[in-house]
Amino acid sequence: MATIINADTSDGLKLTSDTSGQIDLQSAGSTKATIDTSGNLKFDSGFGSVGTAYGCRAWVNFNGTGTVAIRDSGNVTSITDNGTGNYTVNFTTAMPDANYSVCGTVGTTGGASAGWLNTGSNATSGAADTTTSCKVCCNYDTFNLYDPTNMYVAIFR
Amino acid sequence: MRIIYETSDGGVAVIVPAPEYLLTHTMEELAAKDVPAGANYEIVEDSVVPSDRAFRGAWTWA
Repeated sequence: MATIINADTSDGLKLTSDTSGQIDLQSAGSTKATIDTSGNLKFDSGFGSVGTAYGCRAWVNFNGTGTVAIRDSGNVTSITDNGTGNYTVNFTTAMPDANYSVCGTVGTTGGASAGWLNTGSNATSGAADTTTSCKVCCNYDTFNLYDPTNMYVAIFR
Repeated sequence: MRIIYETSDGGVAVIVPAPEYLLTHTMEELAAKDVPAGANYEIVEDSVVPSDRAFRGAWTWA
């Protein structure tokens, strides 16, 4: 059960209330979005049914060359320049645990072929992800490190 | 502004603040949050950090 706000095609707005604590947004009697009692936002944005929206918890776009600088970001206090091609992304609001997914890519203007983003507990980043930060590296060839002109990182959880 | 601190292996790490964060916080607050506990650090002007990164791995804390 849920409190339902329905955009009815005949009667306009229809409200059905209960004490479940869940809210459903409906169009013509079909549920298109829900906020459940755990705070999960679920939506049907072409999925065919409502599904949980797993949002991007943090993101950053920065220049890793010259005077390293953040172009823009969300939920990020800073990046730490640890060395060539080796950075830490520091979160404003901590993640609920360290089992999030780090995604991203790098862009370079030359000098390195097939650069890629490397993260987590591995040979070149050397540190496991934590709830407050994650280490990301720009690698090319056989794990050589490289400063990218564009580094894009997004964290999903 | 930047925060530089001494890493456990004698090198130097540079904290680059997010402009968004500095709208509501100070560099001192950022240092308290993102500098590892017990590390020597200093808040410096951007120009203090070399833009030539050719020998980035050779930077040491002095």
